[in-house]
Amino acid sequence: MSPTQCAQFERMLEEQPDGPLAAEATAHMEGCTDCRMLWSDLEAIRTTAMEWGGQDVEPPEYLWIALRRQLEFEGLIRGSIREGSQRGWVSAWFGAAPRWALAGASISLLLIAAMLAGYQKNEPNTAALLPTRMSISAARPKLVAADLGKALDGDLKQVFDSLPEGNTVLTSSLRENLGIVDNLIAVCEKSVREQPDDPVARDYLYGAYEQKAVLLATAMDRSALEGQ
Amino acid sequence: MARTRPTEVHELGEAEAIRRAQQGDAEAFERIYRLHNRRVYALCLRMVGNTAEAEDLTQEAFLQLFRKIATFRGESAFSTWLHRLAVNVVLMRLRKKTLAETSLDEVTEPDEDAGGPRKDIGGPDLRLSGSVDRVNLERAVEQLPPGYRSVFVLHDVQGYEHNEIATIMNCSIGNSKSQLHKARMRLRELLQEFARDRAREERQAAKGSSGSGH
Repeated sequence: MSPTQCAQFERMLEEQPDGPLAAEATAHMEGCTDCRMLWSDLEAIRTTAMEWGGQDVEPPEYLWIALRRQLEFEGLIRGSIREGSQRGWVSAWFGAAPRWALAGASISLLLIAAMLAGYQKNEPNTAALLPTRMSISAARPKLVAADLGKALDGDLKQVFDSLPEGNTVLTSSLRENLGIVDNLIAVCEKSVREQPDDPVARDYLYGAYEQKAVLLATAMDRSALEGQ
Repeated sequence: MARTRPTEVHELGEAEAIRRAQQGDAEAFERIYRLHNRRVYALCLRMVGNTAEAEDLTQEAFLQLFRKIATFRGESAFSTWLHRLAVNVVLMRLRKKTLAETSLDEVTEPDEDAGGPRKDIGGPDLRLSGSVDRVNLERAVEQLPPGYRSVFVLHDVQGYEHNEIATIMNCSIGNSKSQLHKARMRLRELLQEFARDRAREERQAAKGSSGSGH
């Protein structure tokens, strides 16, 4: 088969890469092994790519949490989205009315804010009080993580002491959810130990601490309400 | 499999969500994110082949979208606008990486004027036998120059039409088709190289085992 015909065949493929093949091209392919092989290979690539594309990929949930935090920080979201979103999962955890979830500043959250603010005073060009965006490019303090963990452990005792006696539902719910969050923290802490310079690992750890802080704050608000 | 999400945002149509997001409505932002996050994330993941980087790029694409959403006037499809943003974010990252790692694109871009299918003379039969291993394909895609990779992933993996790709990539439909063909041709070469390497390794392993038998 002449090289000119093969070149024409490939030009036709380039113009119509998704087929169908023109009659001329089909006729050429019947008599040309190389072009038949080429066509078959390109079809195999296309089929495999299609199968690949059919596989479902779901982004992790923390991506939205991080994005939402950044949107809040930049003031793009009017009002606080936390009133909606966090109420959702916090309510699901405790099965209670959302009003206590909005009950204001908790010791833990204030503590985190204060610590990060303290750190960020030493950082140029940083105005955020809370960690905002999970980004591989965002620098985060290394030292604060350990302090946060200790502070939260300190809060934990206070929260359990404050729980109304006899409310086993609340206590067991808190224990169960603390178990989940503590597992997450353990995984994140392990990642940070293994890759101490990886900002993504540190970001995830902060996210996990923040979840624990919100959980403790919610439990305190709830117990305060029940005590009224 | 879709996980149970902490927040479920239902019943808000895209147009309404966009309108409300333009006014800063928190729920609308989440609705828009939920409507498009899987496709954008899949695109990023398949373009960069790295989960952490894909997450970062997805976040960046949505951030850019939400920062600009007030300027969206509905002249083009919202999803096209978003995917254009996402592709640009990925391409910017790939370009930065390519620059940092000493560009090989120029030497790996097939010659525009090369005529006819490339033939392997004297080598083993490198026909892909009508089937391609998925893992090898992913590996080969990672080695494509960014332009080819974008068109291939958008068309063959993500299922976009050439007219959509032309809008997203700001090129002509003919250009999109041509880039796709060249990407496939380059992938074929890469897959053949992998097959050649594997055959060589197998030959060496066979030699080794027959040698150790004496």
